[in-house]
Amino acid sequence: MKHLSLTTRMSLMFMFAVIAVLTVAGLSFNKLSQHHFKMIDRQTLVEKFESTQEILSSTHGRADVTEMQPQLSALLGAHENLTAIIFANDGTILFSNPSPVKVPEKYRHNPDHGMWEWQEGRYMYRGMTAQISSPDQPEPLTVLLILDITNHMHFFETLQRWFWIGLVISALVSAALGWVVARGGLKPLRQVTQLASSMSARSLKERIPLEPVPLELQQLVSSFNAMLARLDDAFLRLSNFSADIAHELRTPLSNLMTYTEVVLSKKRNTEIYVENLYSNLEDLKRMSRMIDDMLFLAKSDNGLIFPEQSRVDLHEVVVKLFDYYHLLADERSINLTVSGLGSILGDKLMVDRAISNLLSNALRYTPVGKTISVAIHQTSTAVVLTVENPGETIKSEHLDKLFDRFYRVDPARREGSPSNAGLGLAITRSIIEAHKGKIWCTSANGITTFHMEFPRPGLSKETE
Amino acid sequence: MRLLVAEDQAKTGTYLQQGLTEAGFNVDRVMNGTDALQHALSEAYDLLILDVMMPGLDGWDVLRMVRAAGKDVPVLFLTARDGVEDRVKGLELGADDYLVKPFAFSELLARVRTLLRRGNNSPTPISMRIADLEVDLLKRRAVRGGKRIDLTAKEFSLLELLLRRRGEVLPKSLIASQVWDMNFDSDTNVIEVAIRRLRAKIDDNFEMKLIHTARGMGYMLEAPESE
Repeated sequence: MKHLSLTTRMSLMFMFAVIAVLTVAGLSFNKLSQHHFKMIDRQTLVEKFESTQEILSSTHGRADVTEMQPQLSALLGAHENLTAIIFANDGTILFSNPSPVKVPEKYRHNPDHGMWEWQEGRYMYRGMTAQISSPDQPEPLTVLLILDITNHMHFFETLQRWFWIGLVISALVSAALGWVVARGGLKPLRQVTQLASSMSARSLKERIPLEPVPLELQQLVSSFNAMLARLDDAFLRLSNFSADIAHELRTPLSNLMTYTEVVLSKKRNTEIYVENLYSNLEDLKRMSRMIDDMLFLAKSDNGLIFPEQSRVDLHEVVVKLFDYYHLLADERSINLTVSGLGSILGDKLMVDRAISNLLSNALRYTPVGKTISVAIHQTSTAVVLTVENPGETIKSEHLDKLFDRFYRVDPARREGSPSNAGLGLAITRSIIEAHKGKIWCTSANGITTFHMEFPRPGLSKETE
Repeated sequence: MRLLVAEDQAKTGTYLQQGLTEAGFNVDRVMNGTDALQHALSEAYDLLILDVMMPGLDGWDVLRMVRAAGKDVPVLFLTARDGVEDRVKGLELGADDYLVKPFAFSELLARVRTLLRRGNNSPTPISMRIADLEVDLLKRRAVRGGKRIDLTAKEFSLLELLLRRRGEVLPKSLIASQVWDMNFDSDTNVIEVAIRRLRAKIDDNFEMKLIHTARGMGYMLEAPESE
C-alpha cells in the first residue's frame, strides 16, 4: 500500500467497502429467503395433513381408504410437487400419489410433526410423517407427505450465481466510481501542489491562500506556509550574510588602501611609515580572524563540524575561564560566581570557546560593580548551563536574532568595537548545535540570561 | 640554527626567509617538493618548514620520504586548508606542528622556537635572572632590586613564560594558551590587562623596563643592552 497513489488507494478502499457491504447483504438475503421457503413449505405440509386427516377420519377401514382415493387425489393433486403416501402399520401401501418416491427408511416411522429434508440425485425433498388414527379404526395409518423442492434449490443456485456476477460487476463499478470520487476530492490537493511547485527563490514572499483550501488541508497548507516563512528568513539571512561579508571586509580593506596610499603619496618620517604598518597589521589581523570565524560558521552550516566525544566537566571549564576573565572583571569590579556541577560529552576546545564567548559577551554588557553568575544544573535528559548578567533588557524581537552572524541589537554599534565582529554568539550557537544542544536567551527586568542545553551523557558512557 | 623553507608562493617564501633570517636563523629556501626532498636528505637542518600544496611532490610526500630515510628532523607544516583530516594526516605522518594560513609571523616564529627548543633537553633551571630581576622557580618567588615582589599564581606563570623565552616576541595567543590553557582566539583584551598588571609590579617602580610591547604582535621580556 505504501507506494500506491492516494487515488488508487481510495478507489481500492471504496471497492473493498462495497464488496463487504454487498457480501453481508447477499448472505443475509440468502439466509432469509431460505428460511422463508422453509416456512411456506411447512405451512403447506401442515395444511395438507389436516385435510388428509379430515378425509381419513370419515373412513372406517382399509377398504374405505381405497375408496377415498379420488378425494385424496383431488386434494393432493392440486399441488403438483406434492406426493402423499399412506400406509398401514404392517407396511402395506394404501395410497400413493402421484408416484411412490423412495423415502429413506428412517423417515418412514418418524411420527412427529418435525419437517425433514433429504437429497436424492438431483432432487431435493422436504417431508413430514404423521400417524392418523380415527376412533373407529383398529390401527393408526401412517401418512407421509413429501414436497419436491428441487425448484427452490435451482432458484437459490441461480440467485447465488447472479449474486457473484453482481458482486464482481459492483466491485469494478465501485472501483471506477471511487477513482472518480477520489480524483474529484483530491482536486484541491493538486491545486495546492501546482501552487507549491511554482514557488521559486524569488517568490518566497508568496503564500498559499488558506480560504479556498478544504478544512483537512488547511493544516498542511499552513505548515507549508510556515516553512516558506522560515525559508524566506534563511534566504534573507544568507543574502544579508553575503552583504555583511562584503561590508565587514570592505571597511578594513578600504582603510588599508586609503591609509597606505595617503602615506605613500609623499615622503615622510620613518615614524609615519611605521605607524602605517602597525595600523595595517591591526586591520589585517582583524580580517584574518573574521575569515577564520566565517569559515568555521560555513563549515558548521554544512554540517562539517564533528566534535570530539570526550567527557567535559563544565564546572572545571567555567572555573578555568573565570581564571582568565577575572582580570577583565576586576577592572570593572564585576563579580563572577559559579554554582552547580555537570559533565557532558563533547569537544573540550569547542565547549571552552562557546562558554568563553558567552562570558566575554556578558562582561561587555554588565554594568560596573555587578555580578555575572553561571549556574549548571541537570535535568533527567539534559545538562543546562546558564550565564546570567544584569544589564539593559534586550527587547524580545531581538532575542532570537542575537545568534545571527553580524547581528547587533544596536546597528550603530557595528562600527564601534573593532575586535568584536558580531560572530561570537553565532559561533557559540554552531558549537552547541554541533553538540546536539540548544541555546536561547531570555531577558527581563534588567537581567539577561543565556541558556545552553546539552544532552545528558548516556549512562553507558559513564566510565569514559 | 639552520632551517629549510619549502614554499611555492614566491612572495610568501621570500617574506618567510627574510623574517626568519632577521630572527637569527640560517634559512634555505626552495620552491617545490622535489628540491625540498633533495635538500632535506643531503643537508643537515634543524627544522623543515613545508607548505602542503606544492608542485611535484607535495608536503606530505616530502615528509613521508624524509621519515622513510630515517631522518627525525622536526617538521612544521603550513597549510591553507583547515581540515581536521589534514591535521590528522600530518600528525600521523610524523609532522610536529602545523599552521593554517593566514598566520601571524610572530606566531610562526614562536612555534619554530618551541620546536627547536624541544630538541635540546637542557635541565630546568631552578632560578633565573635577568638584569636585577631574580626568579626562584621552585619557591615561585620573584625579587627585583632586592625587594620581594608579590605575584599571583597566574602572574608568576606569565613571568616565568616570558623569562624562559626572553628575547622572543610572544604572541598573545601563545601566552593565552600557555598560561591560561585558552587554545582559541578570544577577542578580548585579557592579555593586555594581565601584562599591564605584571608591569605594575615588575617595572613600574624601576628605571629599567624589562617587559616590552611589540605592537600588534605580542610581548617580550628583555634587558636593554645599553640605556
